[in-house]
Amino acid sequence: MDASTYIKREASGRIAIKMGSKSERVMTWTVTVLIALTIAAFLFFDYTGLDLSKAIPETFYNLKTMFLEPALSHFTWGQAFYQMGVTLGLAFLSTIFGAIIAFFLALMAASNLSKAWISKTVRVIVAFVRAVPTVLWVLIFAIAAGLGSEAAVLGMLFHSIAYLVKAFSEAFEEVDQGILEALRATGANWWHIVVHAVLPSTFTYLLSWTFLRFEINFAVAVAMGAAAGAGGIGFELFMASGFYFDLREVGMITYMILIFAIVLEILSTKMKERYFPAAAKSAN
Amino acid sequence: MPLLQIKDLGKSYNSDAKVLQGLNFEVESGEFLSIIGPSGAGKSTLLRCINRMVEIDEGKVVFDGQEVGKLNKKELRKVRTNIGMIFQHYNLVPRLSVIENVLHGRFGYKTTIQGVLGRFTEAEKEHAFFLLKKLGIEEHAYKRCDQLSGGQQQRVGIARSLIQEPKIVLCDEPIASLDPNASKVIMDHLKSITQELGITCIVNLHQVEIAKSYSDRIIGLNKGGIVFDGPSYRLHRNHTDQIYGTQTQATPEIRELIMV
Ligand SMILES: Nc1ncnc2c1ncn2[C@@H]1O[C@H](COP(=O)(O)OP(=O)(O)O)[C@@H](O)[C@H]1O
Ligand SMILES: [Mg+2]
Repeated sequence: MDASTYIKREASGRIAIKMGSKSERVMTWTVTVLIALTIAAFLFFDYTGLDLSKAIPETFYNLKTMFLEPALSHFTWGQAFYQMGVTLGLAFLSTIFGAIIAFFLALMAASNLSKAWISKTVRVIVAFVRAVPTVLWVLIFAIAAGLGSEAAVLGMLFHSIAYLVKAFSEAFEEVDQGILEALRATGANWWHIVVHAVLPSTFTYLLSWTFLRFEINFAVAVAMGAAAGAGGIGFELFMASGFYFDLREVGMITYMILIFAIVLEILSTKMKERYFPAAAKSAN
Repeated sequence: MPLLQIKDLGKSYNSDAKVLQGLNFEVESGEFLSIIGPSGAGKSTLLRCINRMVEIDEGKVVFDGQEVGKLNKKELRKVRTNIGMIFQHYNLVPRLSVIENVLHGRFGYKTTIQGVLGRFTEAEKEHAFFLLKKLGIEEHAYKRCDQLSGGQQQRVGIARSLIQEPKIVLCDEPIASLDPNASKVIMDHLKSITQELGITCIVNLHQVEIAKSYSDRIIGLNKGGIVFDGPSYRLHRNHTDQIYGTQTQATPEIRELIMV
């Protein structure tokens, strides 16, 4: 009766439509294990001293103070903007330097522009760097540079490079092989091809990725201010919440960060639309 | 001495079955040569052995007195400036202007710095415009290449190869993606390259009739070997049957298809 001997069946006898590849099975297993762990964790938490009927209204009360009555008490508006500038500066520095260094490393990592062993080596190193979270890199650099903005910039730079190398090199690999072949056939050398074929074909993608990383780095810079003493608005947030328990100030700072993030987003979209219409389309 | 000599050329990818085997032929300067054969016969591979876009495994290719397989990187770049190449999919940088794409043909003559900075002389730019005018697409010079029709893009490709001031132009199925009218324009331009400028043309084609009407000489390739080599008027049906392997069960319909 079987229409074809190629039909695969699941254990239940129903006809399978998935490929049943190894990665799919690993994926299913991972999700199952994660769900089980989450449920187990809730069961094993220490709930002593937690009275939900009191905790929930109190949380709402705190949130109300935070977001409906925001105010600055420990520093002035001028200082607030200055600290915001520091945070933006951290994000900007690590993104710009990261993008420039990542560009050259990505050329080495792109399999169509580089030798196989160089590309493999760069990829492995970069994957390792990316696997370690930014905070950890900041703390590692803090050993040498001391906790502060230097370690924060270095750590963020490190992770930005690794992230952008992957993104950039994948963009480079999308370049039509035929274009590279055509230029090689004219006698053009590697640098000619990179500057006049690869760069124009991928520039908008590189820019989109860099903007995206800038947004990430802004968020990370806030966190680094709190976690690694990098200064900036994140440090003020840390002081307000962990030191003065000033909920109103926490609310104010949160609003400022939110507004800045929105302004950045609008700016980057506007810039892309104005200068790189194709990029705005492909990114959104 | 002929411009191009192919001697016992053999080639295989990944050490699998031979893609080309024991090829021998010579091409005189100013010749218009077509290579025909079914897909997979090794036509593209043969062209790429001539400018060493793929490594040569056996035998040798002698171009203009130099053995292509023995050149170092720098010498190879120099030889490639003398060999233009035209592709089925044009292979232009789509986001750049027509004139920029044409000038890409000059990179072979530039140092790294000159090339990276895009320093082209006024004479080179004038030459580019001259070629565009000759090919009838002068008015599109400042358009982005992806806004042009296929036929126009292929003419940009021809201009890019001509600005190299080549001795030979290799064309890999230049009209396979074009409609009959655009195909005719392209083939006429290629023909005039050989007739007016004396530049040799080797064209991979799969339309036998077009090959017969345009070329001085035809080489038929089947499974990596030459099965016909002669002036185009000598190519007859029994040859095309042999080239396309249709002699035994050739139905008229298949013949019709091949002979278009
Ligand atoms: N880069 C490559 N790697 C491996 N095999 C290839 C490659 N290019 C072509 N081939 C093989 O070589 C044979 C000839 O291909 P090709 O020269 O493109 O033929 P044609 O241009 O006549 O259609 C085909 O069997 C093809 O699969
Ligand atoms: Mg081919």
